[in-house]
Amino acid sequence: MKQFRLIVSGLIMASLLLGACQPEVVEVIKEVPVEKIVEVEKIVEVDSNAQSLDADPDKNPVTLKFLALSDDDQLNAWREQLAEFQKIDGGKWSYVDLEFETIPFRELFPKIEASVAAGLPWDLYQADGPDMKHYGFNRVIFDMNDLFTAEEKAQWFPQSVEEGSFRGRLLGPPILQSCSLMMYNKDMTDAAGINPPAALADSWTMDEAMDAWVKTTLDNDGDGVPDQWGVRWGQGTWTGDYEAGIFRRSNGVKGSDTWKGMGDDGVTFRGFVDSDESVEAHQFYQDMHQKQKVTPVEAIPEIFESRISAFMITPDNRIGALNRIHGEGNFNWGVTGIPYFKTQVCHTGSWHYGISPNTENLAEAVAFVKYASSDDGARIFYKYVRQLPANIGLFNELPEYAEGGSQRLWLDAMNDFGIPRIGTPGYTEYQQMMSEALQNIQAGGDIPEILGATAGRIEGLVAKYTGWNN
Amino acid sequence: MENTNTNINIVAGPPKSVSQKLKDLGLYIGEHFLYLILVIVFIAPLVWMVLGSLREEKEIFANLYPFTIHTFLPIKWTINTYLDMFGISEVGIMYGLEFQKFMANSLFVSVCVVSCSLIFNTMGAYFFARLDFPFKNFLLIFVVATMLIPFQATIVPLYIVVKDLGMNNSFWGLIIPWFASPFVIFALAQFIKEIPKELDEAATIDGASLWGILWNVIIPNAIPGIITMALLEFQFIWNLFYWPLIVINSPDLQMIQVAIANQTTQTQIFWGRTFAGSTLASLPVIIVFLALQKWYIQGVATTGLKG
Amino acid sequence: MTTVPISSTDKETSFLARLWSPRNRYYFIAFLFIFPALINFSIFRYLPIFAAARSSLWQYSLLGGYRDFIGLQHYENMMIDPYFWKSMKVTALFVLMKVPIQVVLSLVFAILLQKETKTSAVVRSAIFTPVVTSVVVVSIIWAMMYHSQLGLINSMLSAFGIPRQIFLSDPDRALPAMTAMMVWKDLGFSMIIIMAGLKGIPTVYREAAIVDGAKPWQIMRHITLPLLKRVLMFVVVTQTIFSFQNFVPVYVMTKGGPMDATKVIVYYIYQFGFLFQDMGYASAMSIVTLLILLVVSMIQMRLFRTDVEY
Repeated sequence: MKQFRLIVSGLIMASLLLGACQPEVVEVIKEVPVEKIVEVEKIVEVDSNAQSLDADPDKNPVTLKFLALSDDDQLNAWREQLAEFQKIDGGKWSYVDLEFETIPFRELFPKIEASVAAGLPWDLYQADGPDMKHYGFNRVIFDMNDLFTAEEKAQWFPQSVEEGSFRGRLLGPPILQSCSLMMYNKDMTDAAGINPPAALADSWTMDEAMDAWVKTTLDNDGDGVPDQWGVRWGQGTWTGDYEAGIFRRSNGVKGSDTWKGMGDDGVTFRGFVDSDESVEAHQFYQDMHQKQKVTPVEAIPEIFESRISAFMITPDNRIGALNRIHGEGNFNWGVTGIPYFKTQVCHTGSWHYGISPNTENLAEAVAFVKYASSDDGARIFYKYVRQLPANIGLFNELPEYAEGGSQRLWLDAMNDFGIPRIGTPGYTEYQQMMSEALQNIQAGGDIPEILGATAGRIEGLVAKYTGWNN
Repeated sequence: MENTNTNINIVAGPPKSVSQKLKDLGLYIGEHFLYLILVIVFIAPLVWMVLGSLREEKEIFANLYPFTIHTFLPIKWTINTYLDMFGISEVGIMYGLEFQKFMANSLFVSVCVVSCSLIFNTMGAYFFARLDFPFKNFLLIFVVATMLIPFQATIVPLYIVVKDLGMNNSFWGLIIPWFASPFVIFALAQFIKEIPKELDEAATIDGASLWGILWNVIIPNAIPGIITMALLEFQFIWNLFYWPLIVINSPDLQMIQVAIANQTTQTQIFWGRTFAGSTLASLPVIIVFLALQKWYIQGVATTGLKG
Repeated sequence: MTTVPISSTDKETSFLARLWSPRNRYYFIAFLFIFPALINFSIFRYLPIFAAARSSLWQYSLLGGYRDFIGLQHYENMMIDPYFWKSMKVTALFVLMKVPIQVVLSLVFAILLQKETKTSAVVRSAIFTPVVTSVVVVSIIWAMMYHSQLGLINSMLSAFGIPRQIFLSDPDRALPAMTAMMVWKDLGFSMIIIMAGLKGIPTVYREAAIVDGAKPWQIMRHITLPLLKRVLMFVVVTQTIFSFQNFVPVYVMTKGGPMDATKVIVYYIYQFGFLFQDMGYASAMSIVTLLILLVVSMIQMRLFRTDVEY
């Protein structure tokens, strides 16, 4: 026993000694005075002075390292964009090449964190809309605000610009946009004699939608387990804020606390996520799982794609998945507005181009991003990915989004009631906690208690960002 | 110890009565029934995975319930997923899928690590099991303690170390940090301790050096342990996920588990490919395991103590 | 005049001779055996551990870097963080359920299956298969098997007339369900180590016992188990360590829920380090984990101390 007391205390002492030493051996240290975050503007100035933004045509080949999501459609799109990019301005950028590093969605954020912490030099990365505030707060993204004129910024949805901005400055332009509506399996709705409304203005309220879900939840053999479910609220199998947050916010009138989702200071959540309206909305959410049982408590992968759920809340990217799995046009789908309580709401979800502040090829990175996010670039991107572009100009030329087009409804929803998720550097903390809360509510937990505790925990976790938007 | 009948039973075995034969038969059936259950329990989930990779993706989750034969067996058999992953089919070519490359990378890295690991860890284990050294117990704790911290806390500092040594984004970064393993040293030390000391002493009297004893006495006698550890080390490296994810930047150098995870895109999971990839990733290790079973048997035959 | 260099040479030789005494020469050669491993551990394990220990004394996040030195503040916060204690409790419960079951089962199977027949080779391989399959995929499949409505396990239960059970979304059952899965996954791992240990036991002892007329269970109790003590110690110690650091199944299957019932300590550490932008606190919790495991492993090693020499 004596031996290990000795060793334990020895280890503690050693760690303390090492800890107290100024870190020098291993890590890259960024001394950031915590009280005042230096204006992002300054960084731009310094960086732009250090490196001319004009390209030098005699330069050696430059390869831009691009940290992106693993998605072969996207990669093919960027490859074609690159080929076009090398031709523009009389071949001025022909010496630029792209090298991709692909990361699965779930691991993208940790990978970016590790790369930042290690001070790895890389050039471009694909950033999720809500994470932009994280990157802005920690100054790990190059501020592109001054590189776009007001006119250029107007080429994108204002929601996309808002998602890509931190404290009113655009950090990175959008890659693409999204907005959730309710898709349905037409064979199933026809069989149930349901005709979901075609126009957004006629969208079902939650109660009307519940009727449809109940009607399409079928238990043919009567064993207590539905052979066909009513609805899957959201993509994948987990409860992200992108879809699940809509529930709460839809039960507040526009401008109310519940609708806003968070205090203006960006760190207050009590009274917003646990308001009476929120409790009411989540009661409905719980009933979906526990009372009417129109959706399984434990999510089933690909429930809609496998034809075991009649409805699904999803962006238009689901169309590509259906075509891939069932073959072009073999899945008889339709789309209707998203059900709502008091206010129609869909969360917008854009992805953004981010330029790493460590880049050694700033001019080339900026030029590529400007091209890729322009209408020309976005047109190529859409050709491969076929999901709602962020460039408004493209809607004049894409037949799917023209009046009466199959994907028109998503565009209208985006324009009518698409709102970004709450914008705060504490988004990740908020989303994690809310996801756990929703999981517990789904399983039948006490709603006011769960929401109250969650609001408190989020506030505790995000207190470190207090004052971020002053 | 008490009665000698047992002894006779084992050595000679008197003629068996009918009831005895029935009892034996019952025992035989019972034992094999237990084995059957075990095999089903242990491989059923994985059979589902393998069969899932042999069906069209729209089938995979559509037949979970109600439970029928098609929960397991595909309605329409297809190997397209595999063709895609090896870049043979049209889809595979369009997306430039080359799963064989990642398998080769993983195999190379695993073989390198296991080879280094066998040398250095066996030496280290011999040190702890047999040699005299001041503060040896403390050193053992020094070694074991490296396993005790959650990898999540050290992965980024380790990445920084590897980067400072210029080994990031290369096979060096995948191999060098793992060439010695506290787990294997600790394990082999236990196995070596079980080897009777008289063998060493006899060799010492014959004038063998420490290296000679390790090579001629210890290693032959510790073969079952060494093979086991090589296998476990192999599957550990083969299944690495977070480390290659962080340390490798070029897709050309990536390892198999990351390649499988890459079949999850922003909007969808390619379940067929995920299952096919996992099947392909499990197979080599199972084959290695089957191949090594012989060694187990051989291990006893050659190392059983005579006298 | 000439005596000076001679005497100094004398001194040197005598000093060198003392340094190069047979005893020290032995130590030097012995040290060479462990030297490569020690180099590896110092650079690739201890540097990161010390880095983590250091960042546990700072306000530190991966994206934001080092901010203020705050001494033991993280450790003080930890003491009053109810969720930290909850995680520790969940983790301890998981380890206490999993390790004994796993070790006993793998001992039983190792003994049952050590025969060199085709059947046992097949069963051995079957038990080993989950070990080599990606834990991510295994977790996904088990989540489907445990599914409260359409899972395979519930289909089987209802075939026997037992009502459907909720596993993963029931706070009381989620952890045992996960434990069962992990025992299934890791059983082959510990089984083959024990098997290798059994193979290492010289057959003379067993033969001698049989000649002496010992019954199988007596051989087990008095010969096999005592001789397996070291290997069992190893299995218990390492399985405790690995199970304490269980992470992926939680990450894939339950995300720590429901009601934090499966939020094991490493998942909590992961959340703080990679999601909540507080690697300082995550490191502090990791250091505490290290210390706890150090104490636990040393107690285990002491309990299993072997006096058997032969």
